Amino acid sequence: MKNKVSIPINDEFDIVIARQKGREMAKDLGFATIDLALVATAISELTRNIITYAQKGTIFLELVENQGKKGILVISKDDGPGIENIELALQDGYSTTQSLGLGLPGVRRLMDDFEIQSELGKGTTVIATKWIS
Amino acid sequence: MSIPILKQGNFLIVSIQTIISDKDLISLQDDLSLQVGKHRSKGVVIDVTTLDVMDSFSTRTLRNIAYTIKLRGAETVIVGIQPDVAFAMIQLGLKLDDVKTALNLEEGLMLLNYLLERK
Amino acid sequence: MSTIPPLSKTPTSKKISETSSTAGSKSISSNLLKAMNINETDIERRKEWLEFTEKDVKHLAELDSIAKGYADELIKSLNNHFKKFNESSQIFDNPEVLKRVKVLQKEYFLRLTQGNYDSNYIEERLNVGNVHASIGLDVKWYLGAYNFYVQAVGGKIFEAFKDDPQKTKDLFLSLIKLVFMDIGLAIDTYIFQREITIREQQEAIRELSTPVLQVRGELLILPIVGIIDTQRARQVTEKLLKFIRDRRAKVVVMDITGVSTVDSRVANHVLQTVDASRLMGATVIVTGLSPEVAQTLVAIGVDLSKLNTVGDLQGGLAEAERILGYKVTRVERGDSLASSSQE
Repeated sequence: MKNKVSIPINDEFDIVIARQKGREMAKDLGFATIDLALVATAISELTRNIITYAQKGTIFLELVENQGKKGILVISKDDGPGIENIELALQDGYSTTQSLGLGLPGVRRLMDDFEIQSELGKGTTVIATKWIS
Repeated sequence: MSIPILKQGNFLIVSIQTIISDKDLISLQDDLSLQVGKHRSKGVVIDVTTLDVMDSFSTRTLRNIAYTIKLRGAETVIVGIQPDVAFAMIQLGLKLDDVKTALNLEEGLMLLNYLLERK
Repeated sequence: MSTIPPLSKTPTSKKISETSSTAGSKSISSNLLKAMNINETDIERRKEWLEFTEKDVKHLAELDSIAKGYADELIKSLNNHFKKFNESSQIFDNPEVLKRVKVLQKEYFLRLTQGNYDSNYIEERLNVGNVHASIGLDVKWYLGAYNFYVQAVGGKIFEAFKDDPQKTKDLFLSLIKLVFMDIGLAIDTYIFQREITIREQQEAIRELSTPVLQVRGELLILPIVGIIDTQRARQVTEKLLKFIRDRRAKVVVMDITGVSTVDSRVANHVLQTVDASRLMGATVIVTGLSPEVAQTLVAIGVDLSKLNTVGDLQGGLAEAERILGYKVTRVERGDSLASSSQE
């Protein structure tokens, strides 16, 4: 099983591909069943954001290790319009489209480590990690 | 690939068996609306037991479906959300507050019967 | 490689020994290496730390013929030494066990000078250490046995190469390095076993402190006592959701009277549990939330509006029965006019 995978995101079908792959990798690593659902859901949301706001991008999945702890690293990258106000986007209750907007606060809750970089006109990168507890 | 809709008396049953795409889910909304009208169904049970992930899109769409069906005079019950999926949904902040839920198909039908009688 | 069956059944030994008894050493070993997180890099570091190089490998190879000739005698003395002490004489109680032990000991000894100190070597050493930890041989006795090897072999080295002091020194010191490597691995296996036990005990404590009681078919009571940290909250929620699915519960009475501190974090855990249960068609009634605490939570912005709370457990049960009563009645009416079963 590969430690590192990159999945090009171009259409809605890639959402399922990305989250299935993430689930598979997380499972091989030994995550508990409930965590598989959390990881898959987080990947699904991030991938969805790419499609909705940037039309295309990439999802990187990598198995990582830190001081004996094993985890899965998820990076969502696009060259889309970027987020105008990150602070606001990370606040619970904020939304631009119908409901839930970017779902970023939710993704942050689903994962353990969460980091986001975004620049207007340049794109957005989300870096999140889930560790095996 | 369209999702099969079964008729059981006054109700329609939708059992999602495979991995469905966004398009399939949107189509379901149209199909159900049509079928409810055609059969004058009083309720719909949507069984999502096999869905291993319910994200913002699927949740939103199911909510829309329930709303659309309500406009046609029928109730919708979502059944079969698995423990892990339920947990993940709540973490993500997806609550389905205004949509009725039940544990499984059997419970879902019982709930529809109950709601029907109450009217 | 044959293994010693555990003489004392400790819960930890069960896990590893079961794996060990399957045929095919490859599957045993790679399990242990993986479980203990010992990879190629780790092995290299151990050698670097001990300054164990190709030179040492060569030296040990030179000792091989001596070792072979001396093996049986050594094993005999070793076991005589074991016999003298209570702590180690247990292996003599069972002749079958003793036979296998002797084979193991000889293999172990000879392996020291057979070269190829790669991951397979490490695996084997870990397995032996693990087995000894499982049978309850205290670490000091296990480690002390190495002294026996060194004393005995040291003597033989001095004897064989007495005309070449440099060589004597080289060979002996190389042997010492390898012995230290083995001792390091042995200690790691003992620690590993301890950690397994600790984790199991923690799990047991968690299990005990969160019972889910099934009152009747559709009603569950979940008394929560103590401190709720995020990990525990998650476990409780997960357990409850699975119970709801497996027991087809419709109402859960979640009593938080015994929770030490109900702050906004705990309140959010409770809310999440309620919401998740609702997704599975179950209603949650929260009891034991005092009005004062509720007021404080609302004041700091926690939204309790959708929470179904009742003062105490008794009240909660009554409310649960009421809700279930509704459902029992309408089910009966729906199917037939048979009398409702009010247990």
